[in-house]
Amino acid sequence: MLPAISITPVTALIALLVLFLISGIAAMFLRKAKAQLAISSIILLAIFSVSSYIFIHGINVTILQVFKVYPFSTFFISVFSVGLLLVNMLSYRYSKDFPSFSMLLAFTASGAFIVALSFSLIAIIFGIEIMALSTAFMIIINGKQYVEPAVKLFVLAAIAVAVMGFAMALIFQYDPQLSIGQIPAASVGTYFVLLSLLLFAGALAMEGAVFPFNLWIPDVYQGAPGNVTALLSGINKKVAFVAMFEIFFVLFINNLQLLSTVFLALSVVTMFFGNIVALVQENVKRLFAYSSISQAGYILIGFAAASLYGIEASAFQILAHMLMIIGAFAIITWLEQKNIKTIDDYAALGRRSPLAALSLTLIMLSLIGVPPLMGFVGKFLLFSSAISSGLLALAVLAIINSFISVYYYAKVILSMYSRKEAKPIPMGWEVKAVLLIVVAAIILFGIYPQPIITAATYAGSTLLGY
Amino acid sequence: MIPIIGAMLLILIIGLVATIALDERHSRAIATAASLVVLVIVISVLFNSLLTGNIVHSEQYAYYLPSLNVAFEMQFTPISFALLLMASIVSLAAIYAGNIEKESPKASSALLLLFEFAAIGLFTSANFLLFFIFWDIGVVVLFFMIYLFGSAGRKRAAIKFLIYEILASSLLLLGILMIYFYTPLHSFDLSYIALNFHLVSQGVQSLIFLILFFAFLINMPVFPVHLWLPDAHTEASTQGSMALSGILTKFGGYGMLLLFATIPIASSFSYYVAILAIISAFYAAFVLMRQHDIKRVVAYTTIVEMSIILIGIASLDSFGTYGAAYGMLAHGFAVAMLFLAAGSVGHLFADRDIREVKGVITTSLSTAYTFLIGTFATTGVPLTAAFIGDILIFSGAQSAFGNIGLLPLGALLITGAFMYFVINKSFLSAKDSSKNVNYIGLSQKVGFGILMLAIIIFGILPFMILKLFT
Repeated sequence: MLPAISITPVTALIALLVLFLISGIAAMFLRKAKAQLAISSIILLAIFSVSSYIFIHGINVTILQVFKVYPFSTFFISVFSVGLLLVNMLSYRYSKDFPSFSMLLAFTASGAFIVALSFSLIAIIFGIEIMALSTAFMIIINGKQYVEPAVKLFVLAAIAVAVMGFAMALIFQYDPQLSIGQIPAASVGTYFVLLSLLLFAGALAMEGAVFPFNLWIPDVYQGAPGNVTALLSGINKKVAFVAMFEIFFVLFINNLQLLSTVFLALSVVTMFFGNIVALVQENVKRLFAYSSISQAGYILIGFAAASLYGIEASAFQILAHMLMIIGAFAIITWLEQKNIKTIDDYAALGRRSPLAALSLTLIMLSLIGVPPLMGFVGKFLLFSSAISSGLLALAVLAIINSFISVYYYAKVILSMYSRKEAKPIPMGWEVKAVLLIVVAAIILFGIYPQPIITAATYAGSTLLGY
Repeated sequence: MIPIIGAMLLILIIGLVATIALDERHSRAIATAASLVVLVIVISVLFNSLLTGNIVHSEQYAYYLPSLNVAFEMQFTPISFALLLMASIVSLAAIYAGNIEKESPKASSALLLLFEFAAIGLFTSANFLLFFIFWDIGVVVLFFMIYLFGSAGRKRAAIKFLIYEILASSLLLLGILMIYFYTPLHSFDLSYIALNFHLVSQGVQSLIFLILFFAFLINMPVFPVHLWLPDAHTEASTQGSMALSGILTKFGGYGMLLLFATIPIASSFSYYVAILAIISAFYAAFVLMRQHDIKRVVAYTTIVEMSIILIGIASLDSFGTYGAAYGMLAHGFAVAMLFLAAGSVGHLFADRDIREVKGVITTSLSTAYTFLIGTFATTGVPLTAAFIGDILIFSGAQSAFGNIGLLPLGALLITGAFMYFVINKSFLSAKDSSKNVNYIGLSQKVGFGILMLAIIIFGILPFMILKLFT
């Protein structure tokens, strides 16, 4: 019998998650965009507060052997609710049909929350699939020209789920309940388990846009409407990393050595692929697509470090990159509507909209890893986690990549501040609000990262079970 | 103990916010005021320490990265204080007088204040992580300074500057991370590393030394990684050049001083470093003789001077080390003054080519004499601050490397000869003088005055700083 006081916030959280889903479905029928925006924002804020409360109090409850509410899951529920709040705000103006979008966003959100909460492989595969499907629909409701990116995303997701299903089948004999709780140590090193591990890595790498499983991702990012791209790169991709945490650091914890090697290789190729291809991009949206691929490579450094410190660093960078990329895509979405797309089109943005230019500059400096911004702290933690696990070479390669990335970000910055007479472009309050939140967060948590680091460490330590 | 360093940084941030928030007409005045307050604090600390005979002071604030045990720790050491003094004076002169072209005073004042913030933070940081953070802020700010306010070719120059400097800061990051993880009780703390780094194996020490050495070499800059400097100076605005040569190059110099002081293996490299410094000094002096742009000429004197400072640092002798610190102080004033004069010439005649510009003295007496005194100050004429620095550096270099250590004097001679040729040709020749298209204002003259005063005071009364060293 659990004490009543500890069950109440958890029940409240589950109720809120269900309520969010219901409000999304209701919006589809009521079709009141403004009311829906207010309601969904309030519910997301409530989810954020309740899950932060549960996180702070360290409540640990298993529900039906499928879900587990513990600091690791509540940390990511809080993170994703902030991201969803920003995307929701952004989509209010830039989505063609906001009520339908709201419904699909509610489904995406439940997918993300299910993955964060899951303690079972079934829940993970279910959450990832529901998320990918509703995002594909989100792309397609905007018009006929969006069929191609939607289909590409759908096919990628379908392949990922098929491979993941096969991987689950392979370990079924060792883990008949498909729970995430560790598989027996006796099976370590057996052919089935190793193959299953690699297949999981491949499937989740496909979801997380990791090279070489990501070749369609830039097309999807570029083709999709900007607000959906923000969702894809800010939330969907990060959910795949959360699933990776759960599968590799709990289920396959006995194979850490192999995991470290696999992620080392994936991380290096992803960083180089993303950064080198980004160098030649002219379309800003595509440039950010490749930039976010390279950032996925940086996040994998923490996985390669395979230590609590590495998990902490990756969790920090997941939050940092989510904020930065949503901010960047907010500007891109807004300018896309005015038909401003290539780096040359961005010329003189500093005169046309000083706020947008300054925010994008700060976001890009943070992506480069310039102190004292949040991206710097994330990268610093990642690099030092690699060195502390004895992977000096990985840290050197990551620093080389950081150096390469300066060039393409600087290209955009230079273009924005070139001297050219131009008329100002008005900016809607949604974009302003998103930018303000993002910029304030990356400066604040760049100068004072302690709370986030402490939280990430706590989340990581509960994931590892101590 | 009063948190002086925190107060200075806070004043600069408040000044920065006020500069951005208030009207463009007031921005230069506000920025000047903030910078002046900081200078007054620095000078009062100097006088206080002359009375008490002690400068060492440290402050600690909240933790920055608790998991790595890094806090916001700031400190004065004698050497860092000397550079801090120089940075605050040069910043004041640049903010008040540097904007000759009167181009968007708001943005340029704000950037310069942020740069002063970075410089003061860097010279006072007590651990390598803060050092790195302020270093990067300074580099990014100057990148924008060059790009936003430069002349026609600024885009290329800014990108070149950024690529070189980010390479340096990447190496720096790698180096400090390695230092952290190889120190016995993982630490970024400067004094702790200096005490304990001898416990690290020789191979690792050499690797870390080389990584950091190249990072600082790029920034100083010294041949063969100096290529960003002449372009950056030619294209940057006067303010940008003053901050760049006066302060940013000292980041590398100060880092190099820290490197030689903290890593014991440095002593086995010092001979090679000295040879590199000698080659660099002569190389820059020879290239200097082929330049026509006054700003480019001054830019190459920076390389000559920084090479001489490098030989002082490499000597690992107390004379050489203190001489290098004093030399950096002197060079900061001198080169900022030369760039201010060069910028004034460019503004007066809309041209800086020494073959075209003639007889500056008939148009602007102050500019011509400032350039003359600046030349004295770079070539180490007695009664200027550089003389003290050079004497100390060369006595240190002589005792460490024998007479080879005195070779850079030859490079200094060539530099001086060419500079006097420039003065003779463009500044002092009164016949067929060029027509000026503009005038320079009172604020430039005040700027000349501030820097000239600093050069003379620290040339006549060197004990004010040297007393702190001993």
